[in-house]
Amino acid sequence: MSGKGEKEQVYARYVASGKTQEHLASWGKTLAEVMNPEGKPEVLDEVLVLDVSQENFSGIIAASFFAEFGAEVIKVEPPQGDPMRQVTPYGANVKGVGIPFLVEGRNKRYMTLDLKNSEQDRKDFAWLAGKAAVVIETFAPGDMDSWGIGYRQLSQQNPGLIYIAISPYGHYTEKAKEFARQPDADITCQAGSGLPAQVGDPANAPEPYNWPLKAGMWAGWYISGLSAALGGTVALVHRQKTGEGQMVDIATMDAYANMVGFPPTIGYTWEKARPRIGVLDFILYPYGLWKCKDGYVVIAAPRDHDFRALLKILGLWHLEDDWRHTPDRIPDVVDQAMILYKAIEEKTLQYSADQLVKMALTYSAKSARSKWRGGGVPIVMKMMTPPMTLESKQFAIRKVFQEVEDENAGKFVINTNFVKMSESPPRIKWVSSTVGKDNEYVRKKYLQDR
Amino acid sequence: MEDYFSYTAKLFNPSETTQKPEVLKGLRVLDFSHVIFGPTATRIMANYGAEVIKLELPFHGDLWRPATYWGKYWKHSNPLWHFVTQNKYFVGLDLKHPGAKDIIYRLAQMCDVVAENFAPGTAEAWGVGYTQISKINPKVIYLSCSTYGQYGPLRFYPGWDLLAQAASGVLSLTGYPDTEKFYKLPDYLGDFIPGNFGALAILMALYFRNKTGKGQYIDLAQSEALMRLLFHFTAFKQSGMDIGRTANTDPTMVPASIFKTRDGKFIALACATEKQFEALCGAMGKEDLLKNAAYTDPFERLKPGNAKALNGFVTEWVKGQDLEPMIGLAKERGFPAAEVLDDYQLYQDPWRRKRGSVILFNDEMYGEIILAGPSAQLSKTPSRTKWIARPVGYHNRLVLKKFLGLSEEEIAGLEKKKVIGTFDDRPGLKPPVYYNLAEDPIFNYGREGKK
Repeated sequence: MSGKGEKEQVYARYVASGKTQEHLASWGKTLAEVMNPEGKPEVLDEVLVLDVSQENFSGIIAASFFAEFGAEVIKVEPPQGDPMRQVTPYGANVKGVGIPFLVEGRNKRYMTLDLKNSEQDRKDFAWLAGKAAVVIETFAPGDMDSWGIGYRQLSQQNPGLIYIAISPYGHYTEKAKEFARQPDADITCQAGSGLPAQVGDPANAPEPYNWPLKAGMWAGWYISGLSAALGGTVALVHRQKTGEGQMVDIATMDAYANMVGFPPTIGYTWEKARPRIGVLDFILYPYGLWKCKDGYVVIAAPRDHDFRALLKILGLWHLEDDWRHTPDRIPDVVDQAMILYKAIEEKTLQYSADQLVKMALTYSAKSARSKWRGGGVPIVMKMMTPPMTLESKQFAIRKVFQEVEDENAGKFVINTNFVKMSESPPRIKWVSSTVGKDNEYVRKKYLQDR
Repeated sequence: MEDYFSYTAKLFNPSETTQKPEVLKGLRVLDFSHVIFGPTATRIMANYGAEVIKLELPFHGDLWRPATYWGKYWKHSNPLWHFVTQNKYFVGLDLKHPGAKDIIYRLAQMCDVVAENFAPGTAEAWGVGYTQISKINPKVIYLSCSTYGQYGPLRFYPGWDLLAQAASGVLSLTGYPDTEKFYKLPDYLGDFIPGNFGALAILMALYFRNKTGKGQYIDLAQSEALMRLLFHFTAFKQSGMDIGRTANTDPTMVPASIFKTRDGKFIALACATEKQFEALCGAMGKEDLLKNAAYTDPFERLKPGNAKALNGFVTEWVKGQDLEPMIGLAKERGFPAAEVLDDYQLYQDPWRRKRGSVILFNDEMYGEIILAGPSAQLSKTPSRTKWIARPVGYHNRLVLKKFLGLSEEEIAGLEKKKVIGTFDDRPGLKPPVYYNLAEDPIFNYGREGKK
């Protein structure tokens, strides 16, 4: 599968034998065919999802996951459109639609209803919700209820309804009530759930480098959206078994902390917070990013045998005595740990990224085939930026990017096929972004009997 | 009508969680996975009621067992491991022993889901891959987790969370522009997020199987899962924009950054909409900004120069304010704001305790521990913790007797032949030193009484 005549490198000891390789070559070919999503059945093809989320991307993201797995997703917006259409890096937009909104406009229908102000529209919505399996909303907790279209009312007429609510502090507890009117943003759910506190340089570095630092990606909103989709899918499995719906509540301030889980347990067992330790890791070392001649490489060689191998490759064997065991390398004294960091950096700076990757992989391939245990698998890879990733052969073969065409914005490329499934994979069928584009379609299909 | 929040308080009452039904009751998962990525997918299954049988090598255990922050153990165990593996059955089985294959195949036959995250090809080479398992269990849902996926030129490359962050582009996005530093995202986010994708894929496959009776194979690459969370690819292809590192600002909103307050604390402030921008300008007493042509149009406002100026105004304003009153202002006027919270504050936060998103759990073996709760709360079939991690091989006897129907003599024979085994004296693998396993009914074939 690699270039012509080039033999595939194997780095796991058990995989290296000739017979296994043959089996794997045919296995790889079968997989590549099996993983093509086109023409396959869709998991949620009988599921109707109403996304009435507004001013919060988590709802839009959650709805996308249902849409990719085949549900009919109707995004219900106010007549002027969801303000999330204007949330976009540096104002980049195509005919008034921002990049993130374009990216998440997959397999969706767009309908306009003014739930905030129109009694008539609320009635239409309630009728739709009578037929829906899932409702997603991000209004201030209690708003939908006060309009007569909250979980309490909708579940009366449709006991099978799954009602997903997303808000900063959730829909129950005193604090949720107190902060009900507080809106949501990605950076605030990152901050409130413990991510930035751990990123950045140590306290003795100059300002602002010793400040907490946010993740460059939308870690808060995407994690909240994924959590909502996951919780909703659990509820769908329950509904499939029993016919019973339920309410799913997401607090975006939980997002990061509850997905990775470590922060509260560390606060409890250590009785203090971890400080920021720059580019080091709290558990594994070496495990991070190093500068090289022509860019950056990541190095992961945390196990003792991986570490020994790394020292050999880089010609640093004289350091072995000081840093031999995992406990020697725990970076609890940051200044000391930086000595090893600098020593490695001195070497990585002498090579290009490709050279370093090749050095590590040649070593690993040999060590994997050796009868002698403990050769180690030091991993060195080039750090990729999104534009570099777009050119990657690996992800091209795996169809991670797809060119799509929007009725409004024209052609663009989006990320897709995030998981390969042999029978019922997720996929993108179309993209669109026009406010109210499917008003007629929805009315004809779902509201004619009203 | 009853107050909405007293209605929802009853709907979600955390003290009733354990009495509510479990969605995945009766579902069995055979879990070959290790470290964090695979185990997270199966842990979520276990949180919702599935019986997850986790296989480990005797006397080695999972690679992650001894890996705790700065080497700090808690009751001779890794405190972080207790979050990663909950409600699982721990079986120590020597895969290389000729007698082990039979047990594995019998377990695989009665399981609905099988999960692994070895380097691609390894499970196939060992005879426990999809080709082999699907022959004896055609309806199986088989999840393979890896860094780059099961096919493609990079498939055999080994990987960790860090490598997925690097391959997906995520790693290149955090830090200060024009410096030589990039920060990886903490807490093995590159394992936990893809692990949640794994759970999502298994549940979708389960939903499909309930409808059609068909099992399937799932190939989940952690780098691709992370790539699903970036709009940066489209931004580059569409507008030629390589966003890169943006320090503490969010380039999609303005103002949006982390600021330092007069009392030396850090606050995240952002305006995602026109309404919120008006609210913030009002709070700052800077309504004149709303009339400034540079800031009236949302797209215009986001342009780098304008965004920088606006973030500058907010920086100056926050410098003269204390944290608490600002949080109050945000709440009243309606713009997003939150204090930057650390590990200790999250653990102490009373709201999280009441919500059930930070749980004080009382375990039979370890006593009290604080655990993060689920990231989604379900009113009728909530996620729950029943027990935390156990020593290697703790459930050997129980699983073989209860699930496979082996007699106690047969099990003793397997122990003698070293097909199954437990832990050695290393922390992370063994029970707390004060704990007497001989008196533990679960360890002893699930016998009741004795204790």
